Amino acid sequence: MSGTSSQAIHVSRLGRGTLGFMALAVAVLAGTCIGETPIPVATVLQTLSNKILGSTYAIDPIDMGIIWNYRLPRAIVAACCGAGLAISGMVLQSLLRNALADPYLLGISAGASTGAVAVTVAGLGAGAISMSLGAFAGAVAAFLIVAMLARAAGGGATLHGTGQIVLAGIAGSQLFNALTSFIITKSANAEQARGIMFWLLGNLSGARWPDVWLAVPVALVGLSACIWYARALDAFAFGAESASSLGVPVRRVQIVLIGLTALVTAVMVSIVGSIGFVGLVIPHAARFLVGVRHGRLGPAAALIGAAFLIAADVLSRTIIPGQVLPIGVITALVGAPAFALILVRGRRAA
Amino acid sequence: MIMEARNLGWSARGKPIVTGVDLVVNEGETLGLVGPNGSGKSTLMKLLAGIRQPTSGSVLVKGQALEAMPRRAAARLIAFLEQHSETTEAITVKDAVQLGRTPWLTPLQPWSAEDDRIVAQALADADMSGFERRSWTTLSGGERQRVHLARALAQRPQILLLDEPTNHLDVQHQLSILNLVASLPVTSVVALHDLNQALSCDRVGVMSGGRLVALGAPDDVLTLERVSSVFGVRVSIITDPGDGARIFRFHPAS
Repeated sequence: MSGTSSQAIHVSRLGRGTLGFMALAVAVLAGTCIGETPIPVATVLQTLSNKILGSTYAIDPIDMGIIWNYRLPRAIVAACCGAGLAISGMVLQSLLRNALADPYLLGISAGASTGAVAVTVAGLGAGAISMSLGAFAGAVAAFLIVAMLARAAGGGATLHGTGQIVLAGIAGSQLFNALTSFIITKSANAEQARGIMFWLLGNLSGARWPDVWLAVPVALVGLSACIWYARALDAFAFGAESASSLGVPVRRVQIVLIGLTALVTAVMVSIVGSIGFVGLVIPHAARFLVGVRHGRLGPAAALIGAAFLIAADVLSRTIIPGQVLPIGVITALVGAPAFALILVRGRRAA
Repeated sequence: MIMEARNLGWSARGKPIVTGVDLVVNEGETLGLVGPNGSGKSTLMKLLAGIRQPTSGSVLVKGQALEAMPRRAAARLIAFLEQHSETTEAITVKDAVQLGRTPWLTPLQPWSAEDDRIVAQALADADMSGFERRSWTTLSGGERQRVHLARALAQRPQILLLDEPTNHLDVQHQLSILNLVASLPVTSVVALHDLNQALSCDRVGVMSGGRLVALGAPDDVLTLERVSSVFGVRVSIITDPGDGARIFRFHPAS
């Protein structure tokens, strides 16, 4: 009986994986079809077939250009960013044992923005990779500053000290946002400044294939790490000392996973700008649906995050005809009330 | 000897909390640790568990330095029940006890039917069978304590370190947990508040001001003079007419 039950779990896990992948494909497809000019699913599928399988369906070249050069890479980048930010938030929430932890609230996104802007404006090399490196340096610096400030303020992994790290995150965000503004004002010309300000609010309109080749591997590495370290993350449920007594090399896991969180956040910020609340809200939604065990929670958070950001991007393109709303506005409109809900619920539990 | 502390010390910001503890734990025994609040019991337990690094001295487990041991290997030998251990996660009793299997599992060595069996046994030993699906937040303090014990048992350790395991427990569960610990084929070090419970240990160590001031058989160590000087109370001893066992009675010092 035990044999069949473990086999059943194995099969259903494979089944869940397939289901998840199919849901992701449907989300990307929907993100490609829906827009100011709706494109039929058949046309999108034919385009994909022409481009990937080399078939020769007759398609309007303008449609084909929109699908292949703009909407598809945009939907894939949105999926990667949503997934990456969601697992970053989940890892931070678990390691810091703080329901409000999120790369945006902790100032990591702000630090990444500063790093990316410094590279762009100061022109330290060009191209997505060096911008991502700058963002990574900024993200790590921001996390270290916020973590030290929180520690000095008596925060950390105690139940009563969880507010301190969020306050430290606010201070860190303000500092790095100010630095970003300073760099822009000092070094950028007016046109550059306008472009950067629009990008900072979160903007997927610039996403092209080179961004896909950067975002996909980074999101996959982040997700794989979450699955690999799922049991270690579970073991943090009762705190770092308890995790240590369960055989988790706490310091190493913290450094690896927080480093990866900073990397994922930095790469996503350097591609699409700073998008808030995805990392905060999505892990809670995923916990509500699949429970707290990270073996399931990580993939679920990634999937929901991907679908959520594709949907938010579609909304941002279509909600006001003829206008593109920054995607950060949509995520904040959903995320801020959810943040309030988490605050109120946490108060009741305490 | 399964575990040994040599000149073990730990200080926080230059203030010594534990100083110069030399301690040998014999295989299979139940060693009680007593001492007033702030005497360094909990810190000593954490040093023995290897989750704090000593500022002086060392801990040897089966002849190996605990500090140099990978955490996973240490956690297969030693399970530690902390005094305060809480979570805000919406985990179930089963989730919490399954955590005990963490040191035995890797991504390439997944959960097996054997792990299920060990978890069920641990739940039964801690008298928590039937609670598997209950959410952590709905448990009483005593039930949480028993879940923690079940988690430690699910680790299948050779050494069980328990920091005041009878806290929050009603008297029936206090006795059943101490009896369980004594009957398990493992070595246990148990920090205790209740001196009468300490009398039933194989040996007792007395902590005072961060030092181990006495160590030996309960009757030799827990003398009237020592208990009264270390704990700052007047003590008298009553003998149970049923079995001749000694019972402490305490009175204010003045």
